[in-house]
Formats: sequence, structure tokens, C-alpha cells
Amino acid sequence: MIRHGRIFGSFVSAEIKNELAYRLNFVLGLVEMLLVVGTSLGAVLVLFTQAKTLNGWTLPEMIALTGVYYLVQGGVNLIFAPSFEKLMEYVRLGTLDFTLLKPASAQFLVSTRHISIVRISDSVLGFVVLGVGLVMLGEAITPWAAVAFALTLACGVAVVYSLLLTLVTLSFWFVRVDNILAIFWAFTDAGRFPIDLYPGWLRFTLATIVPIGIAVTVPAEAISGRMSLETFAAMLAGTAFSVTFASWFWRRGLRSYTGASA
Amino acid sequence: MALVRTYRALLLAGFQQMAQYRIQSLLWMLFAIIRPVIFLAAWVAIATAQGGAVSGYTVGDFAAYYVCLAWVTQLVMAWNSQEFEWEVNQGRLSAKLLRPLHPIHYSIVDNIVYKVTTLPVLAVILIVISVAFGAHYQTQPWHVVVFVPSIILAAALFFVFGYIVASLAFWATRMRTANTLWQRASFVFAGQIAPVALMPVWLQAMAYGLPFWYMQGAPTEILQGTATPERAAFILVGQVAWLIVCYAVFRVVWRRGVRAYSAVGA
Repeated sequence: MIRHGRIFGSFVSAEIKNELAYRLNFVLGLVEMLLVVGTSLGAVLVLFTQAKTLNGWTLPEMIALTGVYYLVQGGVNLIFAPSFEKLMEYVRLGTLDFTLLKPASAQFLVSTRHISIVRISDSVLGFVVLGVGLVMLGEAITPWAAVAFALTLACGVAVVYSLLLTLVTLSFWFVRVDNILAIFWAFTDAGRFPIDLYPGWLRFTLATIVPIGIAVTVPAEAISGRMSLETFAAMLAGTAFSVTFASWFWRRGLRSYTGASA
Repeated sequence: MALVRTYRALLLAGFQQMAQYRIQSLLWMLFAIIRPVIFLAAWVAIATAQGGAVSGYTVGDFAAYYVCLAWVTQLVMAWNSQEFEWEVNQGRLSAKLLRPLHPIHYSIVDNIVYKVTTLPVLAVILIVISVAFGAHYQTQPWHVVVFVPSIILAAALFFVFGYIVASLAFWATRMRTANTLWQRASFVFAGQIAPVALMPVWLQAMAYGLPFWYMQGAPTEILQGTATPERAAFILVGQVAWLIVCYAVFRVVWRRGVRAYSAVGA
């Protein structure tokens, strides 16, 4: 664990050094994110000019949910999305050999090697928006709600991570899987609203196949104190299952990898 | 005449290329559908909670609006500004500039090919959504007649505006910020969040003053049949005016840009 932490630390410092060479790029990335988050909040405000609640969610709760949406997206886009994008390239070119030869868990290396530092802004902005929502909500957060929030947020990111790992593992058999990832990106947009808003087929998709829906909605429920114990238990169990499955599937896929020269 | 022959050859090549990537074009359609469905679901929830209507918009009206919006969006869509950035960055534009045909013609052909191949599938999906949400269309025959010039103007406006944004790549190698700005402006002002009539008054005023609504929301209202004859006339005038302005800007920007352009590595 400590060793993995040290390895991860060196990845981060390498990326920061790389990023410092392109400072304007970083600033522009920040500007883009401000635009995206700002207009998303604008959309929520427009909806609430016509309504007092959205399917039982009040305005402060919806703002908190928007914050969680960008927190989860930030978590995924910061580390896993850029790493997996590279992984698919490595598999196609056969350069994954170099990673497999290294004396550390291959799953850990491929999941965390590339970090897109700019995307920290997603998480920071997400936190700010969440904070605004909570202040507007005006209720004291119980310790239980805070713990449940942290746990379900971690679970949410882990579930999405598992899905992405499973999808990129498919690249061991099919060379072009970036299209499958495109499906995931198309659905992420739906995470901006609570999952119970959607018609049955979409709700099912967002809870199981593309779990961005529960990854956002459940932590938002937890922090605003409206999550039931059953939801909490289901979230923990679902996460344990998906992480185990993804890790097993990854090892299974790795055995089919034939390398560059084979 | 020569142009017709050129277009025939380019279109044929385009369709043959597209036939190789059938699944891919189906996947891209998801992007065209997901966002309208999301906001449709939100408005349906609000309307249902208020007894079936928000400011005169019923669930069926919202369904009709968002189905028409998805259809209009697909019809006017153009990716030239994103592609152009890549071509300038890679220096690929140099080869195209040497050919006797303006690069804009290649974009037009790609655009037509993509639309012809994806529209049948989109039509089926949108019919399913229409039935599922009980969409209520008020379209009269004259709406359909007016929709034809309106959608052509909208597509032309979108295309030329895209080329203005794209031309910025001659000066700046990173264009993503400009594209994001455009996308988010469309998100707010083009009618994706809500039909323009449901937005706060000051946002409505901005939407009418900016070009984005004329590319998507305006033709949507005509197709859906909520536009009165006066409003339809207002929309067409606005579209023509913005098209003239954008074309003039494009001509200037393009001429200056090509002079400023030095291919990366050249």
C-alpha cells in the first residue's frame, strides 16, 4: 500500500512537471471548466424558475447534486480516463509489454499511470458547488451523513472505474473499443439529474450498465440526508461485486494478451 | 458543370467510406439523442408535478419540442470547426489548399454523407420517443412549407459560424476553448435547456439577439407547429440577417487567416 502510494506520487510529480511547461493550456482548461459548470448551474436555475421541486428535489439539493456530478466526473477524468485511453493504445501497439515487466501490480499501473492535472479543476469546482448547495440547504450535516457521503462517493467512483476497466479490458480481444467508451461518455450527461427522474429503460441503464446515475445520485442523497439504509447497503454490495468482477476480468483478459512480437 | 461532376465523385467516395463504419455512426447518434431526452424527462417531471402543464406547456408539448429539437440538431449539425483544428495542427490543410477546390466543399460533402446515412435510424428512434411520451404536434401544412427554408438557413448559419470558429485555428493552435464556448452558448441560448418561451425574460432577450437560437430553437418551433405566422416571419428574417453577417465575417477572417497560416513544420 505504502509502496503503491509512493509510485503514485512519482506519477503525479511527473505529470505536474509536464503540465508546468504548458501554463496557458492549464489556464484555458480552467476557463472551459468554469463555463461548463456555470452553464450547468444555469440550467438548474432555469428549471427552478418554473418549479419549486424537481421530482421531490429542492433547489439546494439539486445544486448539491450538480456538485457531486462534477466531483465524480473529476475523479474519473483526473486519473482513470487518461490512463485507460493510453492503455488501449499500448495494447494496440504492443507496448504494454513494458508495463507488464515492471515489478508492481499491472492493474494498478495501467489505471493510474497518466494523470490529467487540469481536471483537478472539475473536482475543486464540484466541491465549491456542493458547498454552496449545502449552505443553501442550511441544515447541520450529521456525522453519519458525512461518513455515508464519503463512502458512497468513493463507491460511486469505484463503480465507474470498474465499468471503464471492464470496457478497456475488451481491447485484448477487439482492437477498436474506443467506440464502446463513446457509449459511456454519451450517457454520462444523464448524471446531471437525479436518476429517479428518468423513464424505466434509462433508469435501468444508468443504475447497471452505465452506473453514472447511481454514482452521482446516491452520494447526493447521502449528504442531504435522504438516503435509505437499503440504498446504502445495496451501494456497498454493488461496489464490492463490480470491483471484484472487473479485477477478475482484467486478469482473464491479460492472459489473452499476446504482446508486440507475437 | 464541373462542380456537379466533382460533387458526384466526392459523394460516391464518401458513401463508400461510410459503409465501412456503420456501427460507429450509430453510436454517434446516441449523443444526438441523450441530451434532449434528459431535459425532456426533467420537464415532464415538473409538468406532471404541477398537474400536467408548465406555463401552458403540456407533457405532450414538451415531448414534441424535444423530438423536433433532436431532429433539427441532427439536420443542422456540422463538425468542421473541430476537424479543422486537427487539420491545421497536423499541417494537413496544406495539401488541401493546393487542390483546385476550396476546402469548404470537402466539409459539405462529408456533412451530407453523414446525415443521409444516419437520419433513417434517428427517425425510428424519435418516433418511438414520440409515442412513449405522447408527443402532441400542432404542425399545419404551412409550417412544413416554412420549415424547409428555415432549416436550410439554420444549417447554413451553423456551417458558416462553425467555419468562423474554425478559422481561429490559423492564429491559435489550441481551439478547444473556442469550441467549448460555442457549445455552452448553444446549450443556454439555442433552446436546449428549455423552449425559449419558458426562460426568464432577460435570457429570452439575449437568445433573440444572439445567433444560436436561430440555428436550433427557432426552426424547432416551426416544425413543432407552435410558431404563429408573425413569429415564423420574425424567425426567417433573423436567420437571413445573421447568415449575411456571419458570411461577411467569414470572408474577411478566412482571407486574413490563410495569409497568416504557416503549416506546422513548414
